[in-house]
Amino acid sequence: MPGSGAHGAAIDIALTDLGFEGMVHVTTVRAPVPRGRLRSVTPPRLPAGYRLILPQDIPGRNRIVSFGTEVPILAADRVSYKGEPVALIVGPDPLVADELARTTVVDCEEEDAVLSWESFSSEQVLAKRVVVVGDPDLAFSISDRTVDGVYRSGASEHLYSEPQGSIASFDYDKLAIWCATQWPYHVRDSVALALGCKDEEVVVRPTRLGVHMDGKLWYPSLLSCHAAIAAFLVRKPARIFLTREEDFRYTPKRARSSIALRAALDNSGRLAAIDARIAVNVGAYGPLAEETLSQVCLAAAGAYACPNLRVEGYAVATNDVPMGAFGGLGATHAFFAAEATSARLAQTAGLDPMAWKSLNVLKKGSPLITGEGLKEEPPYEAIAERLAAASDFGRKYACYELVRKRRSGRADGPLRGIGFAFAYQGAGAFLAGDSPNSYTVEVSLEKDLSLVIRTSAAACRESVRSIWKRTAALLLDIPVESVTVAPPDTDKAPNSGPVTLSRGLTVVNRLVEKACEKIQKQRFREPLPLTARSIYRVPRPIKWSDGRVEGMPFDMASWGGAVVEVELDPWTLEPRPMGVWLCVDGGLIVSKDRAEAALRAGAADAMGLCLREKLDIASGQVSEDEYLSYCLLQPAQLPPIFVDLYEPDRHVKSKGIGELPFDTVPAAFLQAVAQAAGAPFFSLPVGPEELSGAGDEA
Amino acid sequence: MLASEIYYPANVAELLDLMRRRPEAALYAGGTEILRTQSEPYARLPREVLCIAGLPELRQVLLTERFVEIGAAVTMAEMLELRESAVPELLALAIKGIGNPAVRSLATVGGNLASGGRFMDCWPALACLDAMAEIRDSQGMQWVNVNRFAAADGSPDFPKGKLLARVRVPLERWDFGALRKVGAKDYPSRQTAVFAVAARVEKGILTEFRMAFAGEVALRLREVENRLVGRRLPLDLRQRTAIAEEYRAAAEGLPSRLRIQFGTLVDGALEILAR
Amino acid sequence: MTISFILNGEDVSLNARSYERLADVLRQRFGLLGVKADCRRGVCGKCLVLLDGRLAPSCILPVFRVRGREVITIEGFAQTDEYQDIAGGFSDAHLETCGFCETGKILVTAALLERRARPAPAEILDAMASVPCRCTDPEAIIKAVQAAADRRARRLYHRAGQ
Repeated sequence: MPGSGAHGAAIDIALTDLGFEGMVHVTTVRAPVPRGRLRSVTPPRLPAGYRLILPQDIPGRNRIVSFGTEVPILAADRVSYKGEPVALIVGPDPLVADELARTTVVDCEEEDAVLSWESFSSEQVLAKRVVVVGDPDLAFSISDRTVDGVYRSGASEHLYSEPQGSIASFDYDKLAIWCATQWPYHVRDSVALALGCKDEEVVVRPTRLGVHMDGKLWYPSLLSCHAAIAAFLVRKPARIFLTREEDFRYTPKRARSSIALRAALDNSGRLAAIDARIAVNVGAYGPLAEETLSQVCLAAAGAYACPNLRVEGYAVATNDVPMGAFGGLGATHAFFAAEATSARLAQTAGLDPMAWKSLNVLKKGSPLITGEGLKEEPPYEAIAERLAAASDFGRKYACYELVRKRRSGRADGPLRGIGFAFAYQGAGAFLAGDSPNSYTVEVSLEKDLSLVIRTSAAACRESVRSIWKRTAALLLDIPVESVTVAPPDTDKAPNSGPVTLSRGLTVVNRLVEKACEKIQKQRFREPLPLTARSIYRVPRPIKWSDGRVEGMPFDMASWGGAVVEVELDPWTLEPRPMGVWLCVDGGLIVSKDRAEAALRAGAADAMGLCLREKLDIASGQVSEDEYLSYCLLQPAQLPPIFVDLYEPDRHVKSKGIGELPFDTVPAAFLQAVAQAAGAPFFSLPVGPEELSGAGDEA
Repeated sequence: MLASEIYYPANVAELLDLMRRRPEAALYAGGTEILRTQSEPYARLPREVLCIAGLPELRQVLLTERFVEIGAAVTMAEMLELRESAVPELLALAIKGIGNPAVRSLATVGGNLASGGRFMDCWPALACLDAMAEIRDSQGMQWVNVNRFAAADGSPDFPKGKLLARVRVPLERWDFGALRKVGAKDYPSRQTAVFAVAARVEKGILTEFRMAFAGEVALRLREVENRLVGRRLPLDLRQRTAIAEEYRAAAEGLPSRLRIQFGTLVDGALEILAR
Repeated sequence: MTISFILNGEDVSLNARSYERLADVLRQRFGLLGVKADCRRGVCGKCLVLLDGRLAPSCILPVFRVRGREVITIEGFAQTDEYQDIAGGFSDAHLETCGFCETGKILVTAALLERRARPAPAEILDAMASVPCRCTDPEAIIKAVQAAADRRARRLYHRAGQ
């Protein structure tokens, strides 16, 4: 096996490169049907050194708990999705173990799979959110200008840097787990629960995480339980590592959503009412159901002030593979629908899209869906102006409208469109149901004036760690080279919560700051070394009840806009992006180069969602064909991407900006295609079937 | 997992002899089409494999004024590195749409033409260019127009048990050429196909017109093309509409997305004849 | 079967089975972990090696295919001046990657600069199609490759002057 055992810092090592003497390999026996009663699992004759692990072999609880939802480690009586783990085969040769797993017979009494989710039964509802603000029914009855549509976002694959896996090995009196995870403490607690031991008897040593797209929030905990149980039972280091195909077809995907959005204007063109009915397909178990649904519902009105609002949302379980987070927890679904609707409202009002947004965008003090007033002034005018100048939006928008209306046929040239979207990314947004609801960072100033930062969130990107180091160095007036970030091993680093929602930049960076402030106060009075901790407790968690939602959806928000220009290829009817312009107010930007690079990479990924990254997942499972034909856009297929960082006030804090490309680019793209084709669209990608008829004289 | 028997013929004569004695053996050059859809740790290979990637006789390129002859084991990457004048633009466009540069350094033109299961990216361009393929076996050799690799019903029909040794591509002047790949670009799914068109005009008369579309099946209407040759341009809307209708009727059996895209591709191609 | 080939400048010979992929052989038999066996379809670029000087995805190369050929992995390439040019150029441009695709990007750059001393941005992006990754910022990679090209040109210039 490759590699040698690493009992030190694993954070710079790829999990695939780790190996241990005498290690056994764990392969998964999977459910052959999406739904049914599990009758038996019968392996072929097992050679010496190989064993089968069934649910009854699990020493502790056969459950991981994720954001309040329980997910079986191995399905025991019932299967809930095709490919669900039902047993494990463990042995020394991975190819033999693989073959044994493949030839193990899983006998299920198959039942009709529940795959319907836009219309659903009450048993399928995992979470429900209802908010009513004002009197939407009255507002709709008064208005004579309404638009409505059903906007759909499809499932996608994270295509993270490395397939998922885990290694478990006894390390003296503890069980050590190596895996790439966004949440080391969740892995630790899950493994402890599965083994029936104390949390402290398990130590997690996170390996290199790379790009995760929020696909490694909870699933690594499941695989770690598999590895840990195997290691426990056979008393050898145990490794489970999914092939890329296995990972693609059986691990969680981006949730699908359907948002039926109806909106009304008053006589002045202002938004008078919104009625949103939201269904989010979270697949089997839906570990992130509550949070995903909350995020979608909170952003249902987009970045606009709306005095009358009804939002009714459901997280719906199906027998699809589990689905959830993807580059954020769910707000992107809402912004997609809200921005597409805003474009149609602008048209109905006879206004340019930017002008309509200017009239309706949230202002400082505008009540949010929770009733709380927005604490800051959204920099809409500045962002819109900069984008308009950079992209020549106004002229192009008017021109493309005219060209489309006057066009007589193909000979007049290709159809073009340009779209604009505006959204926010809430920072410090909370993960309801995760416990404890507090996050800790620890710093130590050593005698030689070097500083060590300890946080379980250290698995994030190097650029984020650099920001912590700079924050600490500036505060303590020490060279940045003397600041190090300790590996996020759970026996060394405190629990700082999951690496997601830009927490590294917002929550953790603030905690580093506060801890360093404590050190600064003490350092000239007390001898070194000194250690300080800083704890962040969620002040007012979001509370949903009886048609209301209370609390602050976010501590602060970053704001961003995107303009996308497209041309419809007259030959293939495929939309071809011609340019993407992003303008973002992300608060204090510590490294302009890195922020711009992150936004460009995000825009490239978002463009993939626009053009090709969508999974149909028919019959509850990602098919082999879908797996083989799914790919990222090639760099040469991307349009020029221009990024403008707007920094009006350098005294504010840094805010997360990673989701903004996903919140804005797909919505702007959809509008651009809609303008080019002269028809509204409601989901992406837009294919030739939808576009046929556009672009031709007949 | 059964190991395969691997043979390394030193020359074409040896290769042909092996093919005669072991008719079930598979030719292996780049191997990209075999392994690109397999994701198990081990490679599932035919029982007997004839490794021809390095065979010098299959890796030669001959350039004359009138044609270029490319050995079947020449890789796509090597073809793109030939002089611009050595590779017709239509063919270069087809090659650039294949996989990625690393895959193109393994994939060969012979493999692309003779994979058997479906038409790969080079066929429509080579069909339009009226390329010839040298087909050999132990009995002898013959030159076959690549259009003959499509059966009457459009299905792939590469001669079984034979070696594609070389491809000869005429180097002619074309006034117009276009190529488009539709569907999943990196994987030949049901919705993937390549469309190629080439036309030549002299003194306002259409002297050549060729159009081919292929994915799982090939579509080329020679009789329509022949009727167009000799017509004076521009064609009017009525003429173009009638021709487009014939093509659309021939495409009835395609999956709906491909059918729609084929229709717009044909319209785009005929648009040239309106100028 | 016995396969003999040149690996990172040394003659090697091993007993291998026909169905073994080169990527797995390099990792498991030779401990060359810079090669990753991820997609096994030649699309992700994490297994790239230089085969007779040309970029090739080792995950779709059965080991029998490299008999008598020369294979260079990132470990072998890292001993060369060309590697220093590229690593230095990437550093000059502050290129940040996810850590998994860096090897592929380095070898793609190596193969590109071998053919074209000053590649145009479009050529750089075309070449990078061999290593698609969500961490890629198109502008940053262009700058990084151009910085590598600069370093290479300076080195060759100095060498020519000596």
